[in-house]
Amino acid sequence: MNNISKTIVLLMGIFLFYGETNAQDYSNYAQVSQRINALSKSYPGLVRVKSLTKTFGGKDIWMLTIGSGQTDQKPAIAIVGGVEGSHLLGTELALGFAEKLLNASSQDSIKALLAKNTFYVFPNMSPDATEQYFSQVRYARSSNARPTDDDRDGKINEDPFEDLNKDGKINWIRVEDATGKYRSNPEDPRSMILADPSKGEIGKYLLFSEGLDNDKDGNFNEDGEGGVHFNKNMSYAYPNFVPGSGEHMVSENENRALLDNLFEMFNIHSVITFGPYNNLSVPVTFNAPAVAKRVISGYYEADSKTNAQVSELYNKVTGLKDAPKSSATGGDFANWAYFHYGRNSFSTPGWWVPKAKADTARKEKDLKIEDQVSNYLRWAKSEKIEGSFAEWKKIDHPDFPGQNVELGGIDPFVLINPPYKLVEGLVKKHHDFILELSKNAPSIDLINIKKEKLGDGLTRVTATLINNGALATQTKVGERSYWVKKISVKLIPSANQSIISGRKNQMIDAIEGQGNKTLTWLIKGSGKLSIDAGSPTSGSKSIELAL
Amino acid sequence: MKLIIKKIFFTLPLLSLAIALFAQQPEQILKASGSPANPKVPMSWNRYNDYAAITEVCKKLAKAYPDLVKVESMGKSFMGKEMWVMTISDFKTGDPSKKPAMYIDGNIHSNEIQGSEFALYTAWYLAESFADTKHIQELLADKTFYIAPTINPDARDNFIHAANNANSPRSGMIPVDNDRDGSINEDGYDDLDGDGHIVFMRRKNPNGRFIADQDDPRRMISVGVDQQGEYELLGYEGIDNDGDGDVNEDGEGFYDPNRDWAWNWQPNYIQSGAYKYPFSLPENRSIADFVMKHPNIAAGQSYHNNGGMILRGPGALEDLDTYNAQDVQVYDALGNKGEELIPGYKYLVVYKDLYSVFGGELDWFYGGRGIYTFSNELWTNFLMYNKAGDSNSQATQYSFDRNLLFNDAFVNWKAFKHHQYGDIEIGGFKKSFGRLHPGFLLESDAHRNMSFTLYHAYHTPKLSVEEISEKDLGGGLKEVTAVIANKRLMPTHSSQDLKYKIEVPDMISLTGPKVIAGMIVNNRDLNITSEQKNDAENIRVPNIPGNSTVTVRWIIQNAGKYSVKVDSKKGGIASRSN
Repeated sequence: MNNISKTIVLLMGIFLFYGETNAQDYSNYAQVSQRINALSKSYPGLVRVKSLTKTFGGKDIWMLTIGSGQTDQKPAIAIVGGVEGSHLLGTELALGFAEKLLNASSQDSIKALLAKNTFYVFPNMSPDATEQYFSQVRYARSSNARPTDDDRDGKINEDPFEDLNKDGKINWIRVEDATGKYRSNPEDPRSMILADPSKGEIGKYLLFSEGLDNDKDGNFNEDGEGGVHFNKNMSYAYPNFVPGSGEHMVSENENRALLDNLFEMFNIHSVITFGPYNNLSVPVTFNAPAVAKRVISGYYEADSKTNAQVSELYNKVTGLKDAPKSSATGGDFANWAYFHYGRNSFSTPGWWVPKAKADTARKEKDLKIEDQVSNYLRWAKSEKIEGSFAEWKKIDHPDFPGQNVELGGIDPFVLINPPYKLVEGLVKKHHDFILELSKNAPSIDLINIKKEKLGDGLTRVTATLINNGALATQTKVGERSYWVKKISVKLIPSANQSIISGRKNQMIDAIEGQGNKTLTWLIKGSGKLSIDAGSPTSGSKSIELAL
Repeated sequence: MKLIIKKIFFTLPLLSLAIALFAQQPEQILKASGSPANPKVPMSWNRYNDYAAITEVCKKLAKAYPDLVKVESMGKSFMGKEMWVMTISDFKTGDPSKKPAMYIDGNIHSNEIQGSEFALYTAWYLAESFADTKHIQELLADKTFYIAPTINPDARDNFIHAANNANSPRSGMIPVDNDRDGSINEDGYDDLDGDGHIVFMRRKNPNGRFIADQDDPRRMISVGVDQQGEYELLGYEGIDNDGDGDVNEDGEGFYDPNRDWAWNWQPNYIQSGAYKYPFSLPENRSIADFVMKHPNIAAGQSYHNNGGMILRGPGALEDLDTYNAQDVQVYDALGNKGEELIPGYKYLVVYKDLYSVFGGELDWFYGGRGIYTFSNELWTNFLMYNKAGDSNSQATQYSFDRNLLFNDAFVNWKAFKHHQYGDIEIGGFKKSFGRLHPGFLLESDAHRNMSFTLYHAYHTPKLSVEEISEKDLGGGLKEVTAVIANKRLMPTHSSQDLKYKIEVPDMISLTGPKVIAGMIVNNRDLNITSEQKNDAENIRVPNIPGNSTVTVRWIIQNAGKYSVKVDSKKGGIASRSN
C-alpha cells in the first residue's frame, strides 16, 4: 500500500513537472522528489535515498547517501539545503551538487573520489515552507505547517496575509500618515526606507505587509499560517518564545530526525549549509574571551584557522565577491553544526544581489544610501530582469478609511533567490568547491615504523601516526564531545608476545592537518604483530610487522 | 531458574496482603490519626517496588477508586515500558483538566528509587483518605494531581534486579560509548563474587593510606600524613574488561536524564550527562508532551535523593535572571513552610547551594512552562538520630547500621583472588543504604514530604467571581463591574510566564446582554481604566495575582440576566450570575 501510494505521489509529481511549471524555475516538492527518485534509479550503486521523517505538513525529508562501498566508514561531508524555507536556491545547490556529481560518476577522477569519500545530501529541510513559493499566494515563508499561536494571544493563525489585489503574491502597503516612520528613498522613490530623525529626516508613511489587521490588535499579519522555522529551532543560542522558534528547542519532526541521524553518523567531518549565514565569504574571527567561558560562543583558535583556510578555498573556487555581512540568528543550523555537533561547519547563501554599478550612459550616480531594494532595482534593470517589483497603486483599505493607501513594492523571494537562469552556474561553482573541500579531508596513515632490538627478545616498536589531510582529524570543540570519536590505536600482539610498555588500546586526540604523533611500545617475544589505527572521520590504516 | 524465583517473589507479597486483609477486622482497629486505617489497597510502606509492582499498585488504585483515580500512559520508555501517570481528583466536581494541578514524579535518576514510593504514597493517601478527611475532599474538589511514580522505569528495574551500588546506574538504559573507543558498555562494574552487590575492593598494602577504624573495623579510614597505613582502596568491584588501562569506565548508560530538559540546555562537553538534544530521551519527551497538553499544571515536584533538600532553580548561574523577585517570594513562602514540615530538610537554591547545572527538569518546568517547581532530595543523615550530622557522618552511618539495622546494610569484607589486582578483599554498604531510607523510616518521611506537596498544591490559584455590581448610566446603558479574586498564594501566571507570554491570558467573559465596551479597571476608586477595543465581551487579563483581585467592567445595553465567568488555564474556572 505504502509503496503504491508513494508511486502515485511520484507520478503526480511527474505530471506536475511536465504539465504545469516550466523547467526554467525552481522545483516544488513533487519535482524535488522526482529528481531525487530519478537519481536513485539512474545510479543505484552510488546513491541511496531515505526519508528521515515526514513534516507536520506530511512531506518527506530526504537524505541521499552518495559513495561506494562501506559509506559509513569513510570521511564524509554533509550538505544541507532549505534550512530557510524562502531560500529556494539552497535546495537547488544541494540537489544540484548531487546531480552534477552523479552525472559525472563514470569519470575515473570522480570514481576515485567516491571510493574515498562519502557525501550526505539533505536537499530541503523546510519543504512545508518552500511550497509557499508555488502556491496561489506567494510569500516568503520559513515556517512548517504546524499551527502555532505566533503572537501568543490564545488564538491560532488568526491574522494571516491577504492578497488584496489578487496578483498571487504578497507585497507591501504604504499609508500616508503623519505617524509613519518611513519615507521614499530619494535615490529611488519606489523604495521605502526608515527616516532617521537625528538627521532631520521626516517619516511620512506607515509600511505593512499586504493584508488586513484581522484581529484588530494594531499589528498586520502577525499570526498567519504556521509554524516553526527549522532554522530557529536548533539548540545553540536558541531564542525562547519568539515567533517561529516553537515551544522548545528541537521540537519539530524534521529537526529531531536530522539530529537523530547526524549523531549516529560519526564519519562526518564537515557540514556545509546553504542558508543565510555566511562564514565562507568571510571567515569567523578568533575571540579568546568567547572560548574562555563555560558556554563558549566563539570558535576555538585552531577551528577559526581551519575556517579561514576553507574560506580562502571557497573564494578562490567560486569567485564570488562582495558578500553582505551576515550574523548568526540564534537557533540556526550552521552554528549548531559547530557548537553542538562539534564538526567543521561552513555556510553560505550561495548568491546575493551584486553591487549595482551606475549606468553612466543614463547619467546615473553611485548609490550612497544603503538600501538593498534600490540596489536590487538598479541591478535588475541592468540585467533586464522584469516583473519583480509592483508599482505603487492606490487602493481602498478597510483599516484606513479615508487615507491615502497604496499597494506595491518589491516582490517576495527576489532579494535572496537569483533568477533561475543563474542557478546552473552557481551549482557548478559550489559543486567544484565541495569536491575541492573533500580533497582536504583528514586521512590517517602509519609511517616510519621502526623496530629496535634491545636484546633478549625485547623490541622497541615505534610508529608515527600522520594526518595527510589539510583538515584536522577532529575539531578542537569536537575533541571535547563524546559524539566525536577519537582515533583508536590498537596494538595486537601474537600469542607468544607480551607488551612490556605502552598501551594495548589507546585513544588519540585531534591531529591537526598534516600533523603527526609518534607512538612507542616495548614488546617481549617474536613473531607477527599488527597495529590498527583509525577514526570514522579520518579513515583507518593497518600494518603488520614481524619481530 | 530466574523465572521461578520471580514467581516466588510475586507470590510472597500477595500472601502477606491476604494475611493483612484477614488478620484484623475493621472493628478490631483504632485508627491512628492521619493514616488510612482500613485501606482498600493494602500497602506496606517499608520496602521498595519494582516496575511491575508499581504498575500493579497504580491499576489497583484506579480500580478501587474510579471516581478519584485514573491511570494512563504518557508514552513508552526506551525499552518499551509504559510511563504511568495517575490523574487524581474528585471527578464528580468538574473536569480534572480544568482544575489547577500539581504534577509529581520520582526516580528520574534510576538509583534514587524512593521518589517513586513517596509519589505512590501520595496517590494512595489521597485516595484512601478521601472518604473521611474533609481537607482531602476539599483539595480534590479544587485541584488535580498528576502523579508519575517512576519516570525512569527501565533503569529502575536494573537498579533493583541487577548488581549495583548506591550510585548506579543513575542513567537510563540507552547504550552510550562513554570512552569514545567505538565499543559500547564494554567495561562496566563486575560482581566479582556473584553476591548481587557491587561494593568496594581493598588490598593489604603497607604503603596504603587506609587503616581499619577501631570503633568499627568494617570501616576504612585514612591515616594522618605522618602515619603508616595498612590498606589501599581500589574502587568499586570490577576489572579492566577491555584492556585499555581503565577499570569500569564504560558501563550502563551513561547519560543523565536530568540534563536533558529544554531550558538553556547545553551539550555534553559543557554539561556532562547531556544526551543528543533536549528531550532526545524518549521518557522525558513523553513527559514534556504530557505537560504541554495539561496547561492546568501550576505546580511541580520531582523527587530525588539525597541530602534533605527542598531545591528550587535556577540550576545554572547563567539563569539567575530567570527568577525575579516576585516569583522568589512565592518560592520562599513555600520553601520555608517545607523546612517546618520536614525536619532536617533545608530549602536551597540549586546553582549556589548544590552545583551549577544546565538542562535540569525543574528548570524547564519553571523556565519553559512557568510552573512553580521544587525537587526534594529525599533522605538525610539527620534522620538516623534526629539530629544534625556532625563532621563524622560516615561513622554515624556505621553506628546506625550496628544499632538500628543490626548490620543488615553491610556486606562484610571477604577475600577474593582478582586476576588483575591479586589478593584483595571485597566489602561495603549495600546499594539500599546510604541514599535510600531504611524501611522503618520510609513511611514517616514519605508522609512529611507529601504534606509539603499538598501544601504546595493547595496554594495553586483559587479563583472566584467575588462581586458583580451595576450602575445605571442612563439612555439604556449600564455599567457592570466584576471583581475576580484569587484566594491562594500563587498567581495565575508566574512572572517567568508573563515575561514570555508562555500561557495565554486569563479570560473574563460576560454573557447575556449586548456588550458595548469592555475594560480592565486599574483603580476603581479613581476610575482609571484601560479599554479593550476588540472582543469586549471577553476581557483578557495578563494575570490574576496571588491573594489579590482583578477588576473588570463592561458597558452593556438591555441588562437582564447575565453571568460573569473567569477562565484561566492555571487558575481554573469560576462563574457567577447577577
